[in-house]
Amino acid sequence: MEQVKLTIALVIAILLQWTLRNVAEPLAFIDFPLIIIVYAALQRNAIRAIIFGTIAGIAVDALSGGLLGANGFSKTLIAYAVSEVARRVYLDNLLLRIPVIAGACLLDDLIYYGTHRLLGQEPSAQVLEIIAYTLIGTTIAGTVVYLMMERFVAESPMRRKRDMFPQRRQTRRRNPIRLSK
Amino acid sequence: MIFLLLGNFILMAFDAKEINSGQRVVRVWTQVAADFVQSPVTSVSSAASNYFQSIANLRTAQTENDVLKQRIQELEVEIKQTAELTAENERLKSLLNLKEQSKYKILPAKIIGRDPSIWFDSSIINRGSLDGVKLNMPVVTDGGLVGRVTAVSPLTAQVDLISRDKSGLGAVIGEIGTSNALGVVSGTSKKEILEMRYVPGSVEVKVGEAIYTTGQDGIYPEGLKVGEIVEVRSGSATTPHQIYIRPSAGLNSMQEVGVLLYESPPRPEFEQKLPNAESKKK
Repeated sequence: MEQVKLTIALVIAILLQWTLRNVAEPLAFIDFPLIIIVYAALQRNAIRAIIFGTIAGIAVDALSGGLLGANGFSKTLIAYAVSEVARRVYLDNLLLRIPVIAGACLLDDLIYYGTHRLLGQEPSAQVLEIIAYTLIGTTIAGTVVYLMMERFVAESPMRRKRDMFPQRRQTRRRNPIRLSK
Repeated sequence: MIFLLLGNFILMAFDAKEINSGQRVVRVWTQVAADFVQSPVTSVSSAASNYFQSIANLRTAQTENDVLKQRIQELEVEIKQTAELTAENERLKSLLNLKEQSKYKILPAKIIGRDPSIWFDSSIINRGSLDGVKLNMPVVTDGGLVGRVTAVSPLTAQVDLISRDKSGLGAVIGEIGTSNALGVVSGTSKKEILEMRYVPGSVEVKVGEAIYTTGQDGIYPEGLKVGEIVEVRSGSATTPHQIYIRPSAGLNSMQEVGVLLYESPPRPEFEQKLPNAESKKK
């Protein structure tokens, strides 16, 4: 069920990314697909996250003037990196997720810009300005979206905690006093 | 993951290599799918913004009304004068045998989508190959040149704006035939400013002069207005001028454009065989 909900969330994110810039220019600074990809990666399912990353990236690239595959490349890498971090570090607390989405956004922008530079297709935009605004917009929107996702999509926190920290088998101690007798 | 990354990288490499000629099937079909979402959203959002705009306009209506009444009286006088001038103009035109028709057919189109990535400035229009739109057709507004078509699906087309760094176009300061200040116009990091390069420093250039296309780039026809000069950093006898231009088409605010149904003449065979000099440099 969670899989279906996440897929629906990703489709909505792609549709929002396609349309919102036409409604208001500043909304383009929010990277909706990245928010969902990072969320999927935080569920510690790396394969699902990288497939989400590739699909969402190419869907955005297809309507963009940039290189086809550039977003797919950066988002696949981000999805893998975040899922690997989430496997090693407990990141189910919302406060811990804020720096994760900010870092992912920064890295995504740098990879996207870098691949374009590498292939001789420099974007005609002020790089630092775009990176700064995207970082702010995506982090704020990501925090709000994660609050909503926790409410409507996520499985129970207790179950996730059990998955992350499986309980150790406890052996029963014998009473030393009784033994002595 | 490596397979997916490699796939993306191959896509990018092919796209970078053939950015000026071919188009990807993925782009075409995604555009078709996106059209069903973008068109209704654009219609609804423009209707909503028009509604709120009309409410806001009511506030200033009273003062505007008084000003307009006075303006009507002034205009009535102007109309009489204009009518006389128009009649005179008609007579002169018929004498000179001037053609009134536009040189190329224009297909009106509406912008239904903007580039989903903030890094670029392409736009999606609601006209596609079914309407006769083809790759590299120029796109204009009543102000001037907007860009060219870079991807076409049956229902929509993608337009790359002239403000893009890679969109070089051949241009001349003043009208072709009367000026020899030729150069290449391309985008800068600022969306509303273009740069004109390679204009010899020995040519006199003034702020405010108009820039037109030359038709020598093999994409745009000659005589389309590109913009006006806003800044000149003078060159010398050996170095070219650095000229900055404000595009005459409002690239950030346009909602309706026209596609010029103009196909550039085919390049000579020897030119098609030449390697891509620009990509070789890099």
